[in-house]
Amino acid sequence: MYIPKPSKYDPDSNGHFGIFGGRYVPETLMPILEELEQNYLKVRFDNDFWSEVDYYYKQYVGRPSPLYFAKNLSDELGAKVYLKREDLNHTGAHKINHTVAQAILAKRLGKKKIIAETGAGQHGVATATVAALFNLECEIFMGAKDVKRQELNVFRMKLLGAKVHSVTSGSQTLKDAMNDAIRHWVSNARDTFYVIGTVAGPHPYPMMIRDIQSIIGYEAKAQILKAENKMPDFVIACIGGGSNAMGIFNHFLDEEQTQCIGIEAGGLGLDSKHGASLAKGSPGVLHGQMSYLLQDEDGQILEAYSISAGLDYPGIGPEHAYLKELGKVKYDSITDKEALDAFVWLSQKEGIIPAFESSHAIAYLKKMPKEEIKGKIIIVNLSGRGDKDMVQAKNLLHFD
Amino acid sequence: MKKLVAYITATYPNKDFTVDLALALKDAGVDYLELGIPFSDPVADGPVIDEANQKALKNGFKIKDLFDVSKKIAPKIPTLWMGYFNPFYHKGLDLFINEAKNAKVKGFIIPDLPYEEALPYKKDIEANNLCLIDFVAPTDSKERINKIVKDAKEFIYMVAYAGITGASKSENLQEIIANVKAVTSTPLFIGFGVNEQNAKEKAKGVDGVIVGSAFIKVLLDNNLNYTQKIEKISIMAKNIKEQINS
Repeated sequence: MYIPKPSKYDPDSNGHFGIFGGRYVPETLMPILEELEQNYLKVRFDNDFWSEVDYYYKQYVGRPSPLYFAKNLSDELGAKVYLKREDLNHTGAHKINHTVAQAILAKRLGKKKIIAETGAGQHGVATATVAALFNLECEIFMGAKDVKRQELNVFRMKLLGAKVHSVTSGSQTLKDAMNDAIRHWVSNARDTFYVIGTVAGPHPYPMMIRDIQSIIGYEAKAQILKAENKMPDFVIACIGGGSNAMGIFNHFLDEEQTQCIGIEAGGLGLDSKHGASLAKGSPGVLHGQMSYLLQDEDGQILEAYSISAGLDYPGIGPEHAYLKELGKVKYDSITDKEALDAFVWLSQKEGIIPAFESSHAIAYLKKMPKEEIKGKIIIVNLSGRGDKDMVQAKNLLHFD
Repeated sequence: MKKLVAYITATYPNKDFTVDLALALKDAGVDYLELGIPFSDPVADGPVIDEANQKALKNGFKIKDLFDVSKKIAPKIPTLWMGYFNPFYHKGLDLFINEAKNAKVKGFIIPDLPYEEALPYKKDIEANNLCLIDFVAPTDSKERINKIVKDAKEFIYMVAYAGITGASKSENLQEIIANVKAVTSTPLFIGFGVNEQNAKEKAKGVDGVIVGSAFIKVLLDNNLNYTQKIEKISIMAKNIKEQINS
């Protein structure tokens, strides 16, 4: 059974990963966050808590997810490519891992209401799902633009019994959805648990969600040892806020053999519109944390852009910012076009339709120099499936 | 005499208007001006102040504009800059400290920089004879209040309820007020949701009130011209000042 272990990269007692992380929130939330931190620390290594999580992972989510040897991809690339199949989870992505665990924590804290922000709607759906499962009241905040773009996910959330708020402030996307979720939380913090959708936000969220999502790397490590009897050479994951990447990287960070690589959204190119906060941003404070941000010369937050709504965020989890500065993880980016090509490539080579987000990680396999990966073992975290992207893909691709 | 702090969004609808409004507020009896720095993501603010922020940014607000208007305002009425931390951090706190001193601004109010995160910066700010206003909230324990207000300067900003600016909520604050008063004699002001209707009630037990959204609603009213806006806001300020002291 998976139980988190203390990490060398754990934040300090105020939630700082080096200069990053922290708790930059209105005073009203400070006691709430301190209480959440204390309560999380009580269950962080607690057998009883993780047994309950484990039960739902096995019986409800469908864990462990397979580590699939992608033979056709491997043959083409001359490398051994394994896919960590988070796309096979219930609700179609890794998001369900952290919503299950957060909902169990919320229940233990006696909170009857949960809220969440969502971009593409995957985290919103995963939150609405656990709300139904654990009989919690659920409200989802989603940018008005995304509500239009992701009509089907909005319907899913409503079908599951959640109330969906269409956020009309600012740029009407994920950033603004998170602003309004925070505003709602400040106003209702005493009885409401905020189920944050990634390894971002104020402490203890980045650490807590990394701990929870590390089930991915924990499984992948055991699976690759069983298959290859050695550590992988590369572990690749896409990054919006960075939860699937932290989840798979965490157990490989100190393996000498292994290079972890995080892939940001290159959008239309790094000199145009994109979502590459690490590549093109600078340190700053947004949504309760210090991290890399896309911002103008006055520190106003800029809109991010990506083909994939899940990577369309102008910030990134603070631990990634820290790992970047430490040089521990390599970060690179993939453009919309490269991601879309990889979307088709994986579909037609392996019969697996990836989410647009995960397509960025897949695309990187083709960007790596062939001689560099020859005979190497590579794990790609296939964080989600592409069903949600069908309408968008249909408008972009033509096969006749 | 109980004090009145007025929040206005800097440079909305334009720089000259902000200066005129600030000086009119001084004449109306306002004791401190809270000059709001427009920010793209003001998470502690409700829809009214958010709208003013977004509109000011759309009009092309630059941090330099804040410095410009402050030079004309701060020498005449005690002025504090109210803004979110990112612009301070990104442009450098030193720049804000120097510009504040140049313009005779008294200090900063930064709602997303709570006590712990403020510690590394507070020394520099205070060494330059500026203040960083401390916040207390209804969710705070007695221990936390002790820690926060022990060395508070100028005044303490008490948030009237768990929430964002401009909401019609209220909470019983008697215990919080007593906890603050037991530790410090620094004046305690209440803000969030204070308006003409409730100012007297809200001012009970504290040394002053902070009014923002109520003024900004007038600022955003398209049916009024500039002169009417200034006149209406001034009358409101005057009424509130009278009510809290009646």
